[in-house]
Amino acid sequence: MPSLREPLTGILLLVLCASLSAADDARPAEFFESKIRPVLIEQCYKCHSEASVKAGKLRGGLKLDTRAGWQSGGDSGPAIIASKPDESPLLKSLRYDGDVQMPPGGKLPAAVIADFEKWIRDGAFDPRHGEALAKTGIDLEKGRQFWSLQPPKPHAVPERASVSQAIDALVQAKWGEKGLISSQLAEKRTLVRRFTFDLIGLPPTPQEVDAFVNDTSADATTKLIDRLLASPAYGERWGRYWLDVARYAGDQAHTFGTKPKANAYLYRDWVIKAFNDDMPYDRFVRLQVAGDLVPDAGDLFTKLAGLGLMGLGADYYKNTAREQAIAEELDDRVDTLTRGFLGLTVACARCHDHKFDPIPTEDYYAIAGIYNGTNLTTAPLVPPAEVNAFERARQAVKAAEGRADTFLSDAGKIAVQSATSLTAKYLLAAREVRLSKAAAKALAKQRGLDRYFLDRWVKFLDPANAAKAPAAFKDWFALKATAQATEVRAAAESIQTKLAAIQIPDAGGPKKVKKNGNGPSGDAIVKAMFQDKDAPFYVSPPEVERHFLDGDAGQKLAAMRAEIEIAKKAVPATPLAAHVLAGSGRGMNVYIRGNPATKGGAVPKGFLRVLGGSDRRSADYTRLDLANAIASPENPLTNRVIVNRVWAWHFGRGIVNTPSNFGALGERPSHPELLDYLTVEFVKNGSSLKWLHRQILASKTYQLAAREDAANDAKDAANQFLWRGSRKRLDVEAWRDSLLFVSGTLDAKTGGPAFDLKDADATRRTVYARVSRHELDGLLRIFDFLDANVTADKRNVTTVPQQQLFALNSEFMVNQAKAFAGRVERLGTTDAERIAAAYGLAYNRPPGRREVEMAEQFLKLPKKPGDNLTRWQQYAQALLASNEFLYVD
Amino acid sequence: MPTLPVFSRREMLSRTGTGLGMLGLAGVLAPTAAAANPLAPKPPHFQAKAKHVIHLFMNGGPSQVDTFDPKPALTKYHGQQPPGTDLKTERKTGSLYKSPFKFNKCGQSGIEVSEIFPEVGRCIDDICVIRGMHTDIPNHEPGLLLMTCGNTQPIRPSMGSWLLYGLGSENQNMPGFVVLCPGKPVVGPALWSNSFLPGAYQGCHIANLDPRQVIDHIRNKHLSADTQREQLDLLNGLNKLHLDRRSGDDQLDARIQSLEMAFRMQTEATDAFDVGREPVKVREEYGKGYFADACLTARRLVERGVRTVQVFYGSGQPWDDHGEIEKGHRNKAKDADKAVAALLRDLKRSGLLGETLVLWGGEFGRTPTSEGGSGRDHNHHGFSVWLAGGGIKGGMTWGNTDEFGFKAVENKVHVHDLHATILHLMGIDHEKLTYRYSGRDFRLTDVHGTVTKGILA
Repeated sequence: MPSLREPLTGILLLVLCASLSAADDARPAEFFESKIRPVLIEQCYKCHSEASVKAGKLRGGLKLDTRAGWQSGGDSGPAIIASKPDESPLLKSLRYDGDVQMPPGGKLPAAVIADFEKWIRDGAFDPRHGEALAKTGIDLEKGRQFWSLQPPKPHAVPERASVSQAIDALVQAKWGEKGLISSQLAEKRTLVRRFTFDLIGLPPTPQEVDAFVNDTSADATTKLIDRLLASPAYGERWGRYWLDVARYAGDQAHTFGTKPKANAYLYRDWVIKAFNDDMPYDRFVRLQVAGDLVPDAGDLFTKLAGLGLMGLGADYYKNTAREQAIAEELDDRVDTLTRGFLGLTVACARCHDHKFDPIPTEDYYAIAGIYNGTNLTTAPLVPPAEVNAFERARQAVKAAEGRADTFLSDAGKIAVQSATSLTAKYLLAAREVRLSKAAAKALAKQRGLDRYFLDRWVKFLDPANAAKAPAAFKDWFALKATAQATEVRAAAESIQTKLAAIQIPDAGGPKKVKKNGNGPSGDAIVKAMFQDKDAPFYVSPPEVERHFLDGDAGQKLAAMRAEIEIAKKAVPATPLAAHVLAGSGRGMNVYIRGNPATKGGAVPKGFLRVLGGSDRRSADYTRLDLANAIASPENPLTNRVIVNRVWAWHFGRGIVNTPSNFGALGERPSHPELLDYLTVEFVKNGSSLKWLHRQILASKTYQLAAREDAANDAKDAANQFLWRGSRKRLDVEAWRDSLLFVSGTLDAKTGGPAFDLKDADATRRTVYARVSRHELDGLLRIFDFLDANVTADKRNVTTVPQQQLFALNSEFMVNQAKAFAGRVERLGTTDAERIAAAYGLAYNRPPGRREVEMAEQFLKLPKKPGDNLTRWQQYAQALLASNEFLYVD
Repeated sequence: MPTLPVFSRREMLSRTGTGLGMLGLAGVLAPTAAAANPLAPKPPHFQAKAKHVIHLFMNGGPSQVDTFDPKPALTKYHGQQPPGTDLKTERKTGSLYKSPFKFNKCGQSGIEVSEIFPEVGRCIDDICVIRGMHTDIPNHEPGLLLMTCGNTQPIRPSMGSWLLYGLGSENQNMPGFVVLCPGKPVVGPALWSNSFLPGAYQGCHIANLDPRQVIDHIRNKHLSADTQREQLDLLNGLNKLHLDRRSGDDQLDARIQSLEMAFRMQTEATDAFDVGREPVKVREEYGKGYFADACLTARRLVERGVRTVQVFYGSGQPWDDHGEIEKGHRNKAKDADKAVAALLRDLKRSGLLGETLVLWGGEFGRTPTSEGGSGRDHNHHGFSVWLAGGGIKGGMTWGNTDEFGFKAVENKVHVHDLHATILHLMGIDHEKLTYRYSGRDFRLTDVHGTVTKGILA
């Protein structure tokens, strides 16, 4: 509002001029120059000046080196209100009064702060001209010109060329530009390994290798690819890639206040099934964002289990800093959603407009609003009638249990009531037992008392309990052993009178006592008489059963127990429920600097404006609207991003090598025409991932040998331009699964609850292992599995000794070595035959002459005392631990 | 020429942003397999004062007014509620509660230390007590996370991981970042997480100090060392044949070397954790129990070039004395005092203190007001930690809390400032140690942190 401020400043200056003419004080200019300006320069300019803007060190969006700077102020508004020291945030922070305390190195001396107060009160005279910080508006139209926000362009290919041939042509065009020479195609034996590891995460069997090598038909490769894509193992391999993006895990990082998500595996299984079913990608997006709202979603599992993407999202520890923690949870949703599907780092715009991409802060809060106030909850995957039947059956069990409890409780209460009316008798008898060691059994019989209660009274009246007994017992405990019978009787009757005034609580524990029923002192005596475990008139339900049920009552109870058992048997299995996120949120205010305590303007819910989300912002905007905006064929990012991900998972690097960042700070595509072409064709072909795999794998580009070449290396050592095949290290899942497969121990069971990798005997595929945000399994961690607290685009590949300790020493490896040795032993009668069989299984090739020699030499070594593995088992372990097992050409 | 290094050169440079691009340059440009090792030592930004950090983490939050921040006014106003003592913390607290402990002037410097830390008091001339610490949230989990990772949520790498990423490790046969804690502190592994940094920078948590069990799979239970050597020779032979057919692929060579490193680690790491090899006299000096052994192990580890050792006082949150603080603090200090002082003296004797930065403290402090009559609540407004060794001025205090010890008021040091200072002492500019992730250059100190220059030697 500069138009308002300018005249105001004018008026202030007039006032100042008036006071100047009075000349009764230091002149404002002089005061400013001597007292204020030096302090500003010394203490503030480092972070609040034009120079700091240039150095990238400006803090809080506030400049203090011009008058306009403090007038328009920083992120939280004007810094100084002239003439109003107490309303000026700057003075407040100098006083260290509040959250912002300046300068950060320590409070200024009181005299200096007093100078600032005076300066502001006197009108904040400031002769410094110059611009305030220019508020950088984001130019959306300009932003849309960025390559990734432009619609993908179709690419004209020769009429009869296949998509695979078009891929090759576009890749080879780059070789020409860069002066790279092509490698040869890989041998068939290498290719069948590459295809198989790549599509299903396991090696081929020797038979499969032979079949492919001997198949000379034109469509041998197509048949192989189709067979692999049809295997359920395909979804297990490729679904796992998506689970990295989805930061899938079955728990939370925190210790307090979090529950494990017992059914997290349903989301994992949903993803695997979606890949195996070749679910169109736009549907894959819609169902994960808003399956509950998609009209034609199909069965409940398909409709709801994909919601685990957010349903398993971060659930942070709240307690004192609740607002902050909720803000962080929203960040998790927005970050996973936008990086995962759009390749945009929208979460960067949480505290300020995005510094590099056309994403204003309001856009972050427009999306965050869709998740603001939503719940992480569960949704049953069976029809409501089944859920109701289950609930009814459980209620029936509860009701039956309740009847038995009440029956026992009532019986106990009756026993206690009748005993209470004999309190004085119990006291006297107990005293006799204590003093004269009279036999309780006989005494109880003689006086018509219950032995059960008498025993408890005897214990209760132990003089050691005198101090903690209720006040009513003060006189009783004071009685001497020699006290007169009348005195004793009087004390006993007095207690009985007091107890008679108390309403006896239900038996079976203090939780049933009505609070304040007898006032505070009454409560104490109720507890001490009837409810404490050592109270004389306390009787627990099992004791009621043991001491106070006659034959009839006993039979009634038995019948009730039988009813409970029948009811329990009638309860159906717990209905399966998926972890989901429910609701469509509510619009929220911008949090200035990301701080929930400083709220800015309200933003209606909606989508990114640069992607056309400005028109539809409203309070009614739902998650389905969001899902549709992402999955829309008009969205230039969504399809590009998934095509690039698939490419990256095949080649080890993407056409855009920052698969979750297609913004200005991400890398530019190495083959932009190729990415656009594939994206356009992908959408034309039903957004089918299997279609995309077929085109890529059938290309020559994919089938090149992984052979180094000195001349090419000098130009493109990283193989960015795909002049050769990439040798890839197996990730931990494929490595462990292949060890099991080759050893013959792999359990091919699919789906269901997770197993624990700590179990060295576990033999299911790694995708079914438990993934923890709290403590990632050691095997996963050392082999570069990612922290599941945040969405991830690609794994690092590191080589550290802890990995090799696992290969050399773990029980898991030893188990596989034993199994592999056993398997190979059955496949031959001589060492030579067995060595050949081992090579066929582990490396899909016959051993070389030198390799056979080395093996035979090793196997001849005598077994050393104390070794628990045979030489064959040791050899088998070496084959499994080798580089050839770990790296695929 | 390298063809497929474990990190490609380009990737390394793009990941490391501007600052560490310089920092890691020497290692990245060397076209050897060593360059592929993410733990290879890297030069700091500038001359470092310290090469190692030992963080003695008093998890649960010790009370400053009962340890290193004496407040006579608490005695004077005991049982009263003067203005300024109703600050919000986790729970409701009542009136001021005087320290049950006496404070004694210690050392040449005469700094007052609580009677429950007599031995540490004798080392006070090597120690700088920071009395004006403050943090953000008075709950354990966010407090622990902020102190270890610079963020209140479990989404950032820990300081130990950052240090390993920035500086590498001096000993390739040992893990570079070791966390010692019997059981687990609250929050647990997120406190030593590598988060988005590569997994090689994760802290190695050791709950059981038995040298044969310290590191996963450190021992082969089936083969003698001789046989394993024979097996590894065979494996090396096979791997070399494989490599020969692939014209010197760096990543293949790196793994061959890594296997040898693992073989050596089996003996070297086991030795390092074997406190039984220390003279009886030294062991007696440290005392008995996990914490004492962990302190002694910390010395043995930094001696061998481990970059960061974090010793948690115990499982859970032992210093969290909401009730009966007198008894609770006295008991815990009894263990801690002797072992901590022994560590300082031992490091000094062996000349390691000069290059080892020791940090003692919790995730926050406690209220000077009472909770339930005999305890104290969490307090993020003000607390004390202390530093000793590498580049720290000893025998001084820095900053102050208010007259009751509730809130830091003078020369305040936020946790981010503490991190900036520690990195500075390790030769790292905290604004330049960055990692490009999710479209942003991340730092341990986020957008905060000022080096506390006044405590530097």
